[in-house]
Amino acid sequence: MRKGWLRDYILKRLLYSLIIAWGILTVTFILVRVGPSSPADKYLANIAARGQDPSQVIAAIEARYGLDKPVLQQYGEYIFNLLRGNWGWSLSTSMPVIELIKHHWIYSFQLILLSSLFAAIIGILIGIYSAVKQYTKADYAFTFLSFIGISIPNFWLGVMLILVFSVKLGLFKTYYDTTLPLFSLANLKALTLPVITLGTGMLAAYVRYTRSAMLDNLRKPFVTTARAKGLPEHIVIGKHVFRNALLPLVTIIMFDLGSIVFGGAYLTEIVFGIPGLGQVSFNAIFANDYPVVVAITLIGTLVVLLVNLVTDIAYTYLDPRIRYE
Amino acid sequence: MKKKAAIIACAALAVICLVSGGVYLARTAGVKAPGEIKVKGIFIEGQSGGDAETLNWILAADATSFSYVGHTLDSLATYDNDFNIQLRCLAKDIEVSPDGLVYTLTIRDDLRWSNGSPVTAEDYVYTLKNLMFSDWLNYPYKGDWQEEVNGEKVFVTPEVVNETTFTITRKTVYPEFVYTLYDLTPYPKYIAQKYEGDAEAFMRAPEFNNLSYTGNLGPYRFKEWNRNDRFVVERNPDYYLGKDVGAPYFEQYIIKLFGTSATRQAALEAGDITYTSIEPEQVIKFKGLRHIKVYTVPTSGYTILAYNQRANGWEGLKHKEVRQALSMAINKYGITQNILLGFAEPAFSFIPKVSPWYTEEGIVKYGVDALYDKQKAAEILYQLGYGVRQADGSIKVTDKDGKLLQLVLVVNVGSKPAEDMAFFIRKELLSLGIETEIKLVPWPTLLRGYVMNAVPGSKQEPAYNNGPEAVSQERWDFILMGFGTDPLAPSGSHVFFTTDGGLNFMGFSNPKVDELFARAKSKEALDKTVRQQVYAQLSRLLSEEQPVNFLAFHRANRGFQKNVMGIEPGVNMGYNYHLWYFE
Amino acid sequence: MNERKETAGKDRAAFHGGGFRLASYYWQRMARNRLAIFGLAFIIFLALVAIAGPFFTPDPTEVDFEAKNMPPVGFTITQSVYDIKTDQFITTRVSGTWKHPLGTDRKGRDMLAMIVSGARVSLQVGLLATGIAIIIGTIIGVMSAYLGGWIDNALMRFTDVMMTFPFFLLLVLIVFIFGPSLAFIVLAIGLTGWTGTARLVRSESLSLRTREFVMAAKALGASDGRVVFRHLIPNVISLIIVIATLSIPGVILAEAALSFIGLGDPTVPSWGIILEEGQHSLTTAWWVAVEPGIMLLLTVLAFNFLGDGLRDAFDPKSNV
Repeated sequence: MRKGWLRDYILKRLLYSLIIAWGILTVTFILVRVGPSSPADKYLANIAARGQDPSQVIAAIEARYGLDKPVLQQYGEYIFNLLRGNWGWSLSTSMPVIELIKHHWIYSFQLILLSSLFAAIIGILIGIYSAVKQYTKADYAFTFLSFIGISIPNFWLGVMLILVFSVKLGLFKTYYDTTLPLFSLANLKALTLPVITLGTGMLAAYVRYTRSAMLDNLRKPFVTTARAKGLPEHIVIGKHVFRNALLPLVTIIMFDLGSIVFGGAYLTEIVFGIPGLGQVSFNAIFANDYPVVVAITLIGTLVVLLVNLVTDIAYTYLDPRIRYE
Repeated sequence: MKKKAAIIACAALAVICLVSGGVYLARTAGVKAPGEIKVKGIFIEGQSGGDAETLNWILAADATSFSYVGHTLDSLATYDNDFNIQLRCLAKDIEVSPDGLVYTLTIRDDLRWSNGSPVTAEDYVYTLKNLMFSDWLNYPYKGDWQEEVNGEKVFVTPEVVNETTFTITRKTVYPEFVYTLYDLTPYPKYIAQKYEGDAEAFMRAPEFNNLSYTGNLGPYRFKEWNRNDRFVVERNPDYYLGKDVGAPYFEQYIIKLFGTSATRQAALEAGDITYTSIEPEQVIKFKGLRHIKVYTVPTSGYTILAYNQRANGWEGLKHKEVRQALSMAINKYGITQNILLGFAEPAFSFIPKVSPWYTEEGIVKYGVDALYDKQKAAEILYQLGYGVRQADGSIKVTDKDGKLLQLVLVVNVGSKPAEDMAFFIRKELLSLGIETEIKLVPWPTLLRGYVMNAVPGSKQEPAYNNGPEAVSQERWDFILMGFGTDPLAPSGSHVFFTTDGGLNFMGFSNPKVDELFARAKSKEALDKTVRQQVYAQLSRLLSEEQPVNFLAFHRANRGFQKNVMGIEPGVNMGYNYHLWYFE
Repeated sequence: MNERKETAGKDRAAFHGGGFRLASYYWQRMARNRLAIFGLAFIIFLALVAIAGPFFTPDPTEVDFEAKNMPPVGFTITQSVYDIKTDQFITTRVSGTWKHPLGTDRKGRDMLAMIVSGARVSLQVGLLATGIAIIIGTIIGVMSAYLGGWIDNALMRFTDVMMTFPFFLLLVLIVFIFGPSLAFIVLAIGLTGWTGTARLVRSESLSLRTREFVMAAKALGASDGRVVFRHLIPNVISLIIVIATLSIPGVILAEAALSFIGLGDPTVPSWGIILEEGQHSLTTAWWVAVEPGIMLLLTVLAFNFLGDGLRDAFDPKSNV
């Protein structure tokens, strides 16, 4: 019985996700293609210095980008190809879009994963500590610091970290070295500053969420009951309070993921020269390379939708009372 | 071709390049390496101007793509710092027939493709005829190989003579065509044939995108291209110029891309990269570092202030005397010293100082010494009717009706030095009483709103020069931008300065200038002394006419780790880079 | 959870009786939060600076290349110009002066004047864009809750699409395509940033819709418009104030981030634009990047403090 409604629910949600994804694909496609700029713009100086008539060169470049066809035809062809699993060819990087994504997703993924872990683990620990020691000096200090963490512009933080730790102290390389093996200490070290840059804001937010979720639950009657039963304090906090605080926390952490994938992660990639999907997609925007822009937006969106769905399903197991329509 | 692209990268985009640090490294032959050089180390060049588009270079329009490919594929010849020809794939210099129409090219006989087959004259002719000149491939720079015969554009005629010799025949004389030839690079016919006629397949061809055909044609072989991150080539032990001397001496050559110029320079300081270009503000710091060497070298790029002589500009700008007076009011040393911190020289005409054709004889030097005189400028404008004398006897420059003169200066956003210059110029003009509104606009807006023009009311597609009646969408009076002149073939600048030049967006027109540019491309110019005279006249005329205010020639700063040896500082310092080595 | 809504609801119901009394009650609650008071004080100070400051500082667009890259008071740096003829550097030591207390940038513009006019721009951006977002969000939220049915469904699905859209990417795309003018940036942020508001307002309105005073008003024959404007909106206003206060910093940072990647409006010196300028001369004139960075940090911090304090004040069950 339980399984029945869940399956229907998942199917409904998946269908619904597809519609959202199609909407976003279309909006992105239109946005990229209606702009007044042409991929030929940036070559003007080059053309000029060769003493050439620009119109001929521009025509050649625009023909190569397929801009000589009507927009609707391009859209139709794009959708048709996409349905057959063909993501198209990236003109600004000269490789199949799918290959491009395959090459670069890992850089973004490791950055986001490590930052999230870093932020979640430390943030939740500090949050619990702060809540348990409410109104102590340590609590005030952490609260204040978490405010600063939330407020600091992360691109600015990144620049300052490079200035101090890479240039002045020479502790880290000034850029992210892509040749390091994925699972190595050296790679971990190389990611330290980027992870701090991206993770600080999240960490601070988690401290605050955890603290308030914990405090919400600390006042509940069942805590008093548990304490009255003579359970040791760490069991009361760890098992009873934290477990109950976990659900809202997971929601928030999952929800944040979507916004960091495209916001903070991109800026962090720029500052540290990490060639992740953020950089790839933004370079593609500037190069009018629509197959890449559309594909990465679409994939990012699908990931967010999927994460949301998985979170919702996970809830039904975490809290059996939850039932979706 | 790659060579030319190099000059351009630094030249036309000079202003933009100041923030990018993109430098092209050309190469040379024949220099005997000092005996005991060991092959070792990895050379890392830092760039922050964005990645290349493709390694399938015939499709590329950007200079970066050509510069990447250039590491694996030599052109026919290149130039040293003094613009002497350095042969590469050529066995001997190009022979030009006395009538200037037939060019005979002889390539080396030891050039090999990756499958071991020799590179022949047939490959070159095939590349020209079947690829570059074809309708199906969309080679962007077809115009390099076209000439106008009876008002029609036709391609030149390449022809195979034997295994290593081919000729190219023109119908019209163009003495500087030879420099286009020096840049020629071939595609392997045996591979290209497979894709002939299918542009899509050609574009995606793995052999071309992985440069797997380059054989012994370049000092390096393609290894890896991680987009937006690094382009890696490794030492080519078979390099035809390296056989005797063991060159090149680096195991790998890497181009590493950075998001900002700040991190790029920080990487050099920290020793993470071997070489990058340095911005003016940073030079003193880098010169003070013990592990860094900084070379200050001239470039062929310069910045201009274009005067709008079309109908939607201030009417005064149509008069030579007004343009001269305005140029007289802008202190060029103020720009070179205060803004470019000394890494520039005042410019007065269109031929860069590094060019063999450069001459100072008879040049009118507006904006320096005696010809930097605001009072005199105001006096001239007053005499022409553009000004009123104020109570204290001073002159306030105005329009013809004595009203306040408000002009619009447009500059491309993103280039800090250019922005600074715009503000500097505004200040200079303000002291004449002219108010200037600075419009900082993105590059596409600059092009579409201000540079491109069309005849009002007509159905014309906007272009960069739609004839004397055409005007741009938005009103402007000045545009500040980077220009470049090919130091070897300045006649290419006709696009800017002749009446129907494809890039003469400012609407300048002078019959004498048109005639001189035509002469520079004519039969009589085959004689170098005649060409020298023509260019000297052109330089003088343009310095006097002031179609634009030539502001400054830029100098670049190249920062290297100290242990890099064999560098010859100069305008083309990369020409012998395959002979560089680590100490 | 239920109990909490009850109390909150009661508080808000009281709004009708004595707005002033209620306001002073909230004020007292907030005044206990010292950080919030600091935040409010700083924002008021900033607003004063933004309004009155430009009358006391020099023209921020006034360039003076003779006095470029001057350090702030109390700092001394070395400047140099290269002399081609002698291949030597002419070096001078420059100390900060009270004429330019915060130093000057590479165009010789007074940093204090730029920071002051930047405050005006950044506050404007923050307030306007948030205003747009809040208005759209409130309209959609209230409409969705009040009208219900397929309209609710359609509006919420649309909200979902907008919410799933990668916000920053969308922003970059729009600004790149239509050009970086400040008005457009404000509009773009406003038009993309309303989704959270819409959802929160909707859920708050939904719970209000079934409450007695709304039911009573309806039973007495109040028109839909009257119910919405007299009863629903006044009762979600505290929520809206909190959302607005907490989303202003995000907007200011979004503008700064756009400027940082070169998509800011170069003609208006917002803090983001100054920061981006300073980015290019970090090692020669660190103050140009550090000063607007600190101002950004403080402003965002102040809004966060205030927003947090407001939320706690409006919500009696929360923990200060």
